[in-house]
Amino acid sequence: MLAKLIVYCAYYLKSADWYRKAKLFFYDLLENSHSRKKKYFDATMIGLLILSVIFLIYDIEHEDSKMGGYFELAILMVFIVEYCLRGWIYSDTYKVIIEEYEKALYLNLDFNLLGVFRKAFVRDMEYISSPFAIIDILAILPSYRPLAILRIFIIFRLFKLFRYSNSAKLFADALASKRFELMTLLIFTCFLVFIASVSIYMFEYQALGSGIHNLFDAFYWTIVTLATVGFGDITPQTTGGRWVTIFLILASLGVLSFFTSILIAAFSEKMLSVCETRTYAELDRYDSFIIICGFGRVGQEIARHLHNDRQKFLIIDRVPARIELAKKRGYLAIESDASNNEVLINAGICRGASAILCITGDDVINVYVTLTSRHLNKNLRIISRANRHDNVNKLYQAGADNVIRPFEIAGLLAAEFVGQPVAFEAISGILHNQTETVMESVLVSEKSPLDNQQIGQLDLQQRKLTLLGVISDNPIHLKHKNKYQVKQQHFYFNPEVDFILRHGDMLVLLGRKYGIDHFRDQVEQRRLFSRKPK
Amino acid sequence: MKNIAVFGYNRLSFEAISRLDKELYQITVIDHDPIKAALARENGFETANIDFRSDDDLKLIGIGAHIDTLFCFFDTDSENVFLTLSARALDKELNIVAIVDSPESAEKLIAAGANKIIDPYEICGRKIHDMLKRPDINDIFDHTVFGRHDLHLAEVTIPENSYLENAHVAQLHLSSQYNLILIGIVNKQVSEQLHFVVEEFDRRLSVGDILVILGPSREIRAFKKDVENEFCKI
Repeated sequence: MLAKLIVYCAYYLKSADWYRKAKLFFYDLLENSHSRKKKYFDATMIGLLILSVIFLIYDIEHEDSKMGGYFELAILMVFIVEYCLRGWIYSDTYKVIIEEYEKALYLNLDFNLLGVFRKAFVRDMEYISSPFAIIDILAILPSYRPLAILRIFIIFRLFKLFRYSNSAKLFADALASKRFELMTLLIFTCFLVFIASVSIYMFEYQALGSGIHNLFDAFYWTIVTLATVGFGDITPQTTGGRWVTIFLILASLGVLSFFTSILIAAFSEKMLSVCETRTYAELDRYDSFIIICGFGRVGQEIARHLHNDRQKFLIIDRVPARIELAKKRGYLAIESDASNNEVLINAGICRGASAILCITGDDVINVYVTLTSRHLNKNLRIISRANRHDNVNKLYQAGADNVIRPFEIAGLLAAEFVGQPVAFEAISGILHNQTETVMESVLVSEKSPLDNQQIGQLDLQQRKLTLLGVISDNPIHLKHKNKYQVKQQHFYFNPEVDFILRHGDMLVLLGRKYGIDHFRDQVEQRRLFSRKPK
Repeated sequence: MKNIAVFGYNRLSFEAISRLDKELYQITVIDHDPIKAALARENGFETANIDFRSDDDLKLIGIGAHIDTLFCFFDTDSENVFLTLSARALDKELNIVAIVDSPESAEKLIAAGANKIIDPYEICGRKIHDMLKRPDINDIFDHTVFGRHDLHLAEVTIPENSYLENAHVAQLHLSSQYNLILIGIVNKQVSEQLHFVVEEFDRRLSVGDILVILGPSREIRAFKKDVENEFCKI
């Protein structure tokens, strides 16, 4: 009966929407490193922790303060709730129950409630014994009155900071990466300490005026000397003792310099990933950005334009000098290999990236990065550079949306320039926004006043605009002449006055920037105005 | 027929040459690398075997005489600067187009006397930026004006005694008569600047004005023919 009730509850929870939502909310709050909620939560917790330690210090001097007690209680509650919530998120007991129940059903066995509990318990123990959970419990326990002796351990709460801050974790990681070297050094140091302590003890124990009366004194003296601190409260009196000191000082110099070099090496190795982490963290804040793979001449040019447009972008390049240049110019940059899946995923190819540009000077890399990106994100816009003509098709096959060939474009422009210098300068001026006159498209949206209107009624000449044509994928226009296929759409060049616009069409206009903007605004205003009465 | 000397045979010059109309241009390719010169010959271009460092050799192929345009398409900037300088000394009127590898060299090439600098990387970067910013307009131009569709930019100079002389811009009606769009007008005597037609409707055309038009090649040809015909009526 009880088993049935439990199984029923498990199924209810599985299907309950509120339960799932609540769990997701707390997951975002506590564990999801990409969520904004977690950042605020972490900051609050750090504040609470520091306050609690401040109160502890205050309490040492003012034992009977009441405020401290209440505050302590409140903090404790928060910690306990947090601990339980983390445990709740960590394990999905209802899933274990359902899984076991269905297994039993399938194998025609009795549903063993005890076994299920054992499994759930094991999973809970897994959580309880994880290092962070232990730190959490250490932060809670000292507040329990009967364990007042543990009060000193309240300082352990500060360890909880590790949970909320990435930098502390990085520090620990840096040390962990040099585990082997540090271990070797530790073993050597232990030997040294042992030998030095025993020898000084042997020489000095009975010497006149010596400060060493037991083995602990010898050990204390060794550590003070080894660390090059040398208080001078205990000094060797015998010749033998002095020889031991000389030997220990020389050896300790080696130990210390070895230790420092390990630390420096570990941190400088980690520095790169620290920078990377910071870059990724900054990227996390943007909803839409562009990834540029390759910061050569082409990449630099694009970055300059995007920077002027205040568009966000990230540069990935393998050459350290280029990354340095990018950083000097204030761009976000990562020194890494873009053909690596992990690098692209970290860069946010599946999250916020709107486009990726594969524009290195090496076609092999471009094809590979294109393929990788397409594989990771089906909807991403990919623009690739082909340095050799034969590779254009390969790039399209790999999934590029556009392929660009720098030398061919330049050659084409050279030819255009020779043939028609005036026309060439005119069009390149327009295309590159070097003149006040620009070319822009205006969309005919649904319910727009332009919808179902004839071109002749638009009065474009009065507005000092020139209509070059209409882009549309609407089959209704196909009867018109002067159409040019552009991808899946048609470009209707110089449409007649009786060309009727449909929603979804795009007008390609030439005119002053503010003229086109004004036209667009007017259309939009009229659209909104005409909708209001409804 | 115009004469063009192309120095340096590579992807860029190949593309430029193949875009030029063989009937309108006489092209000579020069490269100091014998393998590249042989490749150019193989592809059917006329080549000349000279040393670009020698002024006599340059004169020999016609610089300072019948060559109208010079393409300095060597891979290194220093060679292009040297060639530009030598050619400019030989011919003040020569139209020199040079490519540049590093951006600092652009100023040097201008100082040496080049008329037009082409920076492939800059063009490419700008192009990609354009693709991101205005994909639809960029697509149209790629497929039409710069692509294989029959839609071209052209410039038409108004000759003497043309029917267009003293005509108002507003009277032209190119879009209904010829299926052409007039983009702008340049008056060479005043400045090189292009005046966009949208702001110049009441302007009168005069001899020497250059009209920049966009349209299919058949219409462009028809219009060019009519412009030269003084008896044509608007």
